[in-house]
Amino acid sequence: MELGNQLILLGAGLVFVSIFAGLISSRIGAPLLLVFLALGMLAGEDGLGGIHFDNFQAAYTIGATALAIVLFDGGLRTHRDTLRLASWPALVLATVGVIATAVLTGVAAFFLIDLNWLQSLLVGSVVASTDAAAVFFLLNLRGTNLVKRVSATLEAESGLNDPMAVFLTVTCVELLQLGMPEASWSAALDLGAEFVLQIAGGAAFGLVGGYALLRLVNVLQLATGLYPILALSGALVIFAGAQNVGASGFLAAYLAGIVLGNQRHRATQIIDRFQDGLAWLSQIVMFLMLGLLVTPSQLADSLLPALAIAVFLMVVARPLSVAACLLPFRFTWRERGFVAWVGLRGAVPIFLGTVPVLAGLPNAALYFEVAFVVVLTSLIVQGWTLNSAARGLNLALPPPPDPSQRVDVDLPADVGRDMAAYTVQDGSAAAGRHLNDLPIGADIDVVSVIRDGAMRRPGTVGRLSPGDYVVVVVPAERLEELDKVFGRPPKRDRRGRDEAVLGEFAFGGEVKVGDLVAMYDLAVPAAEHDLSADTFLRRHLRGQPVPGDRLRLGPVELIVRKLDGEHIKQVGIELDPQPAPIRKDLLFIWARHALRRLRGVFRKGG
Amino acid sequence: MEIADLIRPDAIVPSLRVTSKKQALQELSRRAAELTGVAERRIFEVLVERERLGTTGVGNGIAIPHGKLSELNRLQALFARLETPIDFDSIDEQPVDLICVLLAPEGAGADHLKALARVSRLLRDRSVCEKIRGSESADAIYAIITESAASHAA
Repeated sequence: MELGNQLILLGAGLVFVSIFAGLISSRIGAPLLLVFLALGMLAGEDGLGGIHFDNFQAAYTIGATALAIVLFDGGLRTHRDTLRLASWPALVLATVGVIATAVLTGVAAFFLIDLNWLQSLLVGSVVASTDAAAVFFLLNLRGTNLVKRVSATLEAESGLNDPMAVFLTVTCVELLQLGMPEASWSAALDLGAEFVLQIAGGAAFGLVGGYALLRLVNVLQLATGLYPILALSGALVIFAGAQNVGASGFLAAYLAGIVLGNQRHRATQIIDRFQDGLAWLSQIVMFLMLGLLVTPSQLADSLLPALAIAVFLMVVARPLSVAACLLPFRFTWRERGFVAWVGLRGAVPIFLGTVPVLAGLPNAALYFEVAFVVVLTSLIVQGWTLNSAARGLNLALPPPPDPSQRVDVDLPADVGRDMAAYTVQDGSAAAGRHLNDLPIGADIDVVSVIRDGAMRRPGTVGRLSPGDYVVVVVPAERLEELDKVFGRPPKRDRRGRDEAVLGEFAFGGEVKVGDLVAMYDLAVPAAEHDLSADTFLRRHLRGQPVPGDRLRLGPVELIVRKLDGEHIKQVGIELDPQPAPIRKDLLFIWARHALRRLRGVFRKGG
Repeated sequence: MEIADLIRPDAIVPSLRVTSKKQALQELSRRAAELTGVAERRIFEVLVERERLGTTGVGNGIAIPHGKLSELNRLQALFARLETPIDFDSIDEQPVDLICVLLAPEGAGADHLKALARVSRLLRDRSVCEKIRGSESADAIYAIITESAASHAA
């Protein structure tokens, strides 16, 4: 009994401390996941805690559960728009890209470590997939707002590419266990069948399971608190069910999340909220545990070759495979560069690193150690430079406003609208305005305003002041739009770089290109002067435009600022665009960024 | 292209009293006409024409009306600090109290664009705007603008 209590104290204490460590880390901008990992190491046998944890079986089980929850949560948050923009490039990256990365990294491992080719390929496979936890997390941090096409591709890729890496890893491990099999048609056929079962089975489990879960949520009459539990246990059943028949549970969990997240059901808000918290917990537990699992003092031997592999992966293998995979798609080179750079590794490689250990392969610790070093390097270098790289490549959008002050109510699913109460924030666009003068669409109804604890009818309110609650009925997809109206504007860079991102001046999409030519010397053939900027840009930009898309026209650049459905509602103009900063030394960008962070720490600390 | 080359100390209006966007543009056109010798009416028309394409109120209380005039032979800026903020149809829908007019000769090309970019970069800096808002005299504002511009160019 005493042991049990100690375990609870230990586990809860670690999670508790993690949250505070996370608070401190946001000051220096260190990737939060790195902090959890470091904390785990600190608590481990080589650190202050001295906790001895080397139960790979437990680590595998906990890791798999946590990963399934994170993937399910990622699916819930993957909006239809994301899939529309990015599903094809993400699919190619998640299949061909993973294989290419694994093979290229395997070649490097072959020359760097004393391994045969199959063992080398195993090293490559373990580190081949990007990590959903890290990507979802880092791309959705406050203050990070990327051109949608890029973030959508990275997110969908990370959700979809784990099955491929798992498949490659497991296959390599099996082949190594059997001893080198003779190359034969039947062996290849078996392998092919296994692959099809993984992918097709995972997809089937995810889609069928997702719809079944959706139906259950909408049909069963339960205590409200039980809906998220239903969703969670359902997702884990789908995951484990798929895994047990040899299909990919990771793919299934992600797809089930997508199905549930993109359909109206009556527990949207409560499930989202519960999952949000649970995904946090999963990430904390997973990274803490992986930090505990590793024994830093044993890393010494493999450290140098592992670092070399990490660098090779970041600057050769990932960029090459991304360049090849995205070639058929409409991406600019800046966007490709960013996708190539942000191949964040996270829990998955470390988790896959436990597989050879569990299989009892000779020299198994090596795979785990390499995976660990690769992930650590990736989180430090890529995680830390993500925002600077986005800025340097002109892919960062102004940060979104603070969304924290909104309360949603679930209405019955068939209403198709949500009820929400917003607190009018000081300095928001709504503060000081008349209620019927709010910049909101006609399809949004103000139900009432609560002021000083008393309900007012909309007609009697007059000007809104900070602290008023405005209750509205709004189509679900526009909830976030209203955050901008009622929310406090985001903290801006004092030098105004955030505003500059979308150009110096703005025009309506209907403005004539010829007028802009006369004013700003745009290089556009006379035949197109009569077009509206909207038509012109949609003609010349590749694919569906997203905010932040740029078109260079002689000395200036036109930038998409706002969309209204497919049409460009507002364009910006940048009068003195920088030459493509991809040529700037990335190291230089990084160093400047690190310096700024350090200065910030000292200023706040002092 | 330095800001000091665009603006003279006598092109600063430290406290302009106007109540509307139209009145502000009229008043600034009048002063610009005195500086450049170009007809007031012409300047006003060019600035209004530009506002028709889209507002030059760029947010945070700043507006940068601008246009091209064939009569001019050099770039010319005019800066005004308003006594009370006015509605300028700005992007962020906030009232405007700092206005920098930039007039360019027809065919000023890259110089015109660079000058506009320079002015807008300068006025995006919160601390520069706060200093200007806290200043009463033309000389002080001129010093802030030219000195800050030099540091921004670095």
